Amino acid sequence: MKKFDDKEYYVNRELSWLMFDERVLGEATDTSNPLMDRLKFLSITASNLDEFFMVRVASLIDMQHADYSKRDIAGMTIDEQLEKISKKTHELVETQYFVLMHTLLPLMESEGIRFITKHEELTTEQGQFVDRYFEEEVYPVLTPMAVDSSRPFPLVRNQTLNIGALIGKKGEESRDFATVQVPGVLDRIVEIPCEEGRCFILLEEVIERNMHKLFLNYDVYCAYPYRIMRNADLTIDEEEAADLLKEIEKQIKRRQWGEVIRLEVADDIDPGLMEILKKELSVRSDNIYRIAGPIDLTFLMKLYGLEGFDHLKTPRYVPQAVPEISDGADIFEAIRNHDILMHHPYQTFAPVIDFVKSAAKDPEVLAIKQTLYRVSGNSPIIAALAEAAENGKQVTVLVELKARFDEEHNIVWARKLEKAGCHVIYGLVGLKTHCKITLVVRREEDGIRRYVHLGTGNYNDSTAKLYTDVGLLTCAEQIGEDATAVFNMLSGYSEPLYWNRLSLAPLWLKDRFLHLIGREAANARDGKKAHIIAKVNSICDREVIQALYDASCAGVKIELIVRGICCLKPGIKGVSENITVRSIVGDFLEHSRIFYFENAGNSEVYCGSSDWMPRNLLRRVEILFPILDERLKERVIYILETLLADTVKARIEKPDGTYERIERRGRDLVCAQDTFCEWAKGLVATKDPTQNSRVFIPIEGA
Amino acid sequence: MAVRTFAAIDVGSYELGMKIFEFSHKIGMKEIDSVRHSIELGTDTYQNGIIDTDHMDELCDVLSDFASIMKTYKVDDYKAYGTSAIRETKNTVVVTEQIKLRTGIKVDVLSNSEQRFLHYKAAAIKGSRFDEFISEGCAIVDIGGGSIQISLFDNDALVTTQNIRLGVLRTMDMLATLQPKTRDIEGILKELIDNQLQVFKKLYLKGRNIKNLILIDDYVSAMLYHTGSKDRSFTAARFKEVCEELSQMTVSEISKKYGMNEETIPLLLPAVSIVSRVIKITGADNIWSPGVSLCDGMAYEYAEKEKLVHYRHDFENDIIECAKAMSKRYQGNEARNELIEKVVCDLFDATRKIHGLGRRDKLLLRIAALLCDCGRYISIEAGAECGYEIIMATEMIGLSHAEREIVANIVRFNKTAFKYYDELVAQSLLDKGNYLKIAKLSAIFRIADGVCRSYRTKVNDVRISLKGGELVINVYTVDDIDLEQGFFHRKASLFEEVFSVKPVLKYKRL
Repeated sequence: MKKFDDKEYYVNRELSWLMFDERVLGEATDTSNPLMDRLKFLSITASNLDEFFMVRVASLIDMQHADYSKRDIAGMTIDEQLEKISKKTHELVETQYFVLMHTLLPLMESEGIRFITKHEELTTEQGQFVDRYFEEEVYPVLTPMAVDSSRPFPLVRNQTLNIGALIGKKGEESRDFATVQVPGVLDRIVEIPCEEGRCFILLEEVIERNMHKLFLNYDVYCAYPYRIMRNADLTIDEEEAADLLKEIEKQIKRRQWGEVIRLEVADDIDPGLMEILKKELSVRSDNIYRIAGPIDLTFLMKLYGLEGFDHLKTPRYVPQAVPEISDGADIFEAIRNHDILMHHPYQTFAPVIDFVKSAAKDPEVLAIKQTLYRVSGNSPIIAALAEAAENGKQVTVLVELKARFDEEHNIVWARKLEKAGCHVIYGLVGLKTHCKITLVVRREEDGIRRYVHLGTGNYNDSTAKLYTDVGLLTCAEQIGEDATAVFNMLSGYSEPLYWNRLSLAPLWLKDRFLHLIGREAANARDGKKAHIIAKVNSICDREVIQALYDASCAGVKIELIVRGICCLKPGIKGVSENITVRSIVGDFLEHSRIFYFENAGNSEVYCGSSDWMPRNLLRRVEILFPILDERLKERVIYILETLLADTVKARIEKPDGTYERIERRGRDLVCAQDTFCEWAKGLVATKDPTQNSRVFIPIEGA
Repeated sequence: MAVRTFAAIDVGSYELGMKIFEFSHKIGMKEIDSVRHSIELGTDTYQNGIIDTDHMDELCDVLSDFASIMKTYKVDDYKAYGTSAIRETKNTVVVTEQIKLRTGIKVDVLSNSEQRFLHYKAAAIKGSRFDEFISEGCAIVDIGGGSIQISLFDNDALVTTQNIRLGVLRTMDMLATLQPKTRDIEGILKELIDNQLQVFKKLYLKGRNIKNLILIDDYVSAMLYHTGSKDRSFTAARFKEVCEELSQMTVSEISKKYGMNEETIPLLLPAVSIVSRVIKITGADNIWSPGVSLCDGMAYEYAEKEKLVHYRHDFENDIIECAKAMSKRYQGNEARNELIEKVVCDLFDATRKIHGLGRRDKLLLRIAALLCDCGRYISIEAGAECGYEIIMATEMIGLSHAEREIVANIVRFNKTAFKYYDELVAQSLLDKGNYLKIAKLSAIFRIADGVCRSYRTKVNDVRISLKGGELVINVYTVDDIDLEQGFFHRKASLFEEVFSVKPVLKYKRL
């Protein structure tokens, strides 16, 4: 195979990620989206960026400290990457605030929603209201801290919003630094009275206005909000950490102390205050972001969630029933009838919860085994598992404590399950368990039967309403055997000597993908039919990309649907001219991973939990499962074809790695996500689970 | 419920394994779960003779876990067998007692030949491919942690089986002691293996044409499975190619290519060397690795005992054929031995009411009949003692150590004075139950030998009946049997003593 080593053939993964965030930002600027939706997208770009800094930028900075000199896939050094990231992020942030301050807030105002960003703009009446609010609600929960020779610079917590101030004793010349954290326990958005429409102000403005009340006998010279981001990547020596649970708890605390990698301040901050923050927090100039508006835009999501603005939002979609499982029917019988494929969130996640709930109650069920990566607060699945254990079932739950930023949350659930009598396992040393699998072992007339749920998304009933995922319920014997082996392996037993149907990372999955891609290339070279369609969240594994380039050169038509990072460049002559890449950013987060291989006319379809990233293929336990039922295979192919036909939310990657919207002229407007919504509704209406609507429903004329 | 669930636990020398099986008339035998845990118990046993505390703790933890898995499946029954690591440890009794106390699991210790027989049974139940392979000259190579077992087949029949103390773990440990440079490993392995195999070749392979090899092991089988052969069979040439590839690869490359855990590769490499040397020495053309384990054999054994399944292959016949081959090797009188075998069977059946023994005991009697004169090969004078020694020193696949001792004693007490309990157990670990078996079976055997006293076959037919405190043996013959009658009372006294029944020999000239 040709090596495809030229760095020009690749996009740096961080810059590719930033381009993804730009595409999300594009949804905030898209005038065809309702106003509140645009605010939501803007909020998402902000929370995305936070995570990006805490994990990716932090990791690059760690490498920089360690003098790591290896270049990335696109030939860039660490310094070059950090420099470009900084430049690009500054541009992105500027756009975010431009959109907010110059487009969205004025639009809101025209809809009768006023958002006061500076407390100076409050009317007298409003001022009195917020002052009273401050005294009654806010003041009691504030902890102001001043810095002087006897009091050192305080710990400013990661990701918290704070107000920094310069204060001086009345009648004295000297200036001291003081800071107060904007309390997370109170709503960031405060609704205030106004003559018409509705009016809001941010909590930090309320505090800033009343700053002088916190430092009696002091003059407050200036006060500005600021926020810091710390290096938050967990580094745990698992070999040494005998009790993973305790070690992670310790690390979460330590996360508050990580190095400051980003400082956001108001763009008009007092230079003296700025100097103090810069010095005390040891932050480099290029990591300082001057913000022309409210810091931390994640509050916009709360605004989106406020009651009463439904006319400014896309109507909430209600996930449809899965026709194969009628209300009150025996779910095990339904699965015995045939495999059931669910496409969330178009179809409800309820059958998955019912599956676990029914198993918990069913006297014939012997055991339930499940992996949990991220679960929702108050998860019905957790409750069902606990109930099952109380009913005397053998319940084994693999809780992945290392699910990023959910560690604290996961520890709580893990303890709850242990108390209920479940056998809780905390994953494998060095590997995150990312696969989503549930196994129910049931004793039936003709012996043990295993029911398995395999999914591309987490067992989280909340995100299942927002993320697009595919789930399969089956009692196919070979998959059941493999599922048993998966849990045996996760429980610490040796791997089975072979697998029937499932492919697992980190041991076999990458080779499996390389084999499947290579097979298409070989078929194309032999003049046989060859075609690959892959839908993933990210592609950045060099070997997979090289295999795709090789397949492209062999003449394989390769259509990639990649929501996020894509280090592959399509359309390069002699390298990737048969590859197209599109990214869909829509109301729902595209999350399913689906793979289609033409295999010389004997097509194979797989779904899984893994992206084409080294971390998925090498450092996580992931599962790739085949869709064997021809009827369901058709349905998965329909999903892929519909996504490929999208002309509304899809953006096409150009050979230089940048993205552009699809030229719509002369084409029907197809929004894949809307099509799936209609498809799911149609299924329920016809009550015919075998129906595959092949007709794309244009949402509006071209 | 028509479905029965059984757990088979293998406490092996480098791995603890458990398989859960279901049996029903509808589905036959079906494996529903399999767990394995790597633990090198053998390293302790082979090097220090005992299992250390850490390993003991780990062993008990895993077995407790197995117990809870069994509970999950609500298994109806289980069997746990310890193999060479448990067998060869000096504190076997303490180890098994501790396991019972700490985990509730009763571990029985398998003799090597029983263990191999179970492996062999597991392969045999795989059906037509097995029959096809043994129909021509075939060797079964069973690679364990402590030793390998080579069994030879001729025309569907098992003819000999030999144990060579050259298991993968033992070899790996030996290599570790030698600490060779990496490039020397292959040469050292070759030398180690060839030394032992050459002896086997000289003794057993002379004049035999071994065409097929059946491979029973964990690691080479897994590797071969990943080479893509659906029916798990390979030509020797293909195996050679794989070996050559392997010798050029690093541990991580091997692990990646064959989807095997890196930790298992140090066990795979000696196993591969053993197989290639066996191929070289036997000149076999084809290899079949059915991918079976001890647990499969245990499940079969259970199903057979509980009459849950029925398989075509006659495993008793394998043991009989093995005994016949052994008799031939020691130049036994085939015609006479077969006559004795017939007579002991008739006697056994006719006296069923008074001895209360089972089918398996009858098999022991038949084996004793086939081997009763093997000691004469060494010494005519001390044939009985020599026969005892030969049998005790020769493994017979399918027989436990205790069973072998019963057979050896029957052969010994056929010609020498019977030893009473205290005297006999002073020299062995026989329990009362087995002692009584020896007494009863020897009593029957001596009668049969008395009937066929002469080394010429004179008897045409024997009819036996048990009437009113007498065992009447009617011998139909064309010859004169004065010799037999003259000595009969000497041979009959033990029977009378054991069963309080007087044997009477009558003859009818034809």
